[in-house]
Amino acid sequence: MAVHDDVNGSTEKSNSGMDELLTFNAENMQNNMKVIYYSRTFLSIISGAIAGILGFTGLMGFIFYFLVMAITSVALAAKASFSIHSYFNSWNCIIFDGFLGGLMSFVLFWTFAYDIVHIF
Amino acid sequence: MGAGFLVGVIGVLILSHATYSTIQYRALLKITEEEFSGPPIDVVVELIVSFVLCLWAAMAAPGNFKSIHPQSEENRVVALPANLDFMIFNHRGKIFPLETELKLK
Repeated sequence: MAVHDDVNGSTEKSNSGMDELLTFNAENMQNNMKVIYYSRTFLSIISGAIAGILGFTGLMGFIFYFLVMAITSVALAAKASFSIHSYFNSWNCIIFDGFLGGLMSFVLFWTFAYDIVHIF
Repeated sequence: MGAGFLVGVIGVLILSHATYSTIQYRALLKITEEEFSGPPIDVVVELIVSFVLCLWAAMAAPGNFKSIHPQSEENRVVALPANLDFMIFNHRGKIFPLETELKLK
């Protein structure tokens, strides 16, 4: 099944002869990506604070971040009731999007909470 | 938005209380001159509870996923009444009672 990424309008008609080309609604796609970014950013901030309070240093904190992001991915897939292809065009959207941006927020709040609890 | 957001606020409040407890625990350790090996068990329980609440909030607060398939039920657009050029008022429908809660789906 060929994935057709060229979306001109917000809603596209699907003709009966165009079954080969998988068209999708770009506006709802944007909405879904926004929901994913929101969830990931919030959870990376929270997990950063938790890692700081628990006193993780070095590699341990990054392992904790990967763990939390894995839990988030599973939870997002469960929210989409595991039928990913009716909400996103690939699995990568749900697994990798917002990962690096979340890492920056995570490190910021990790060091912030660690400083507050353990240094001052 | 409402319930999920409230759960998130409660989670953040529990998190800040856990922070405060850990700060006090560190102060106690400084007095008794012991080494910090890990936060006390009640702080760990608080952190787990707040993480679960925040996970719930992060799933509930931003809104639901919408289907991207053009064939799906919620994406179907019925826009004929919006096309003013093709509105016809003199038809047999005017003898029927007017339904004000007409759904356009």
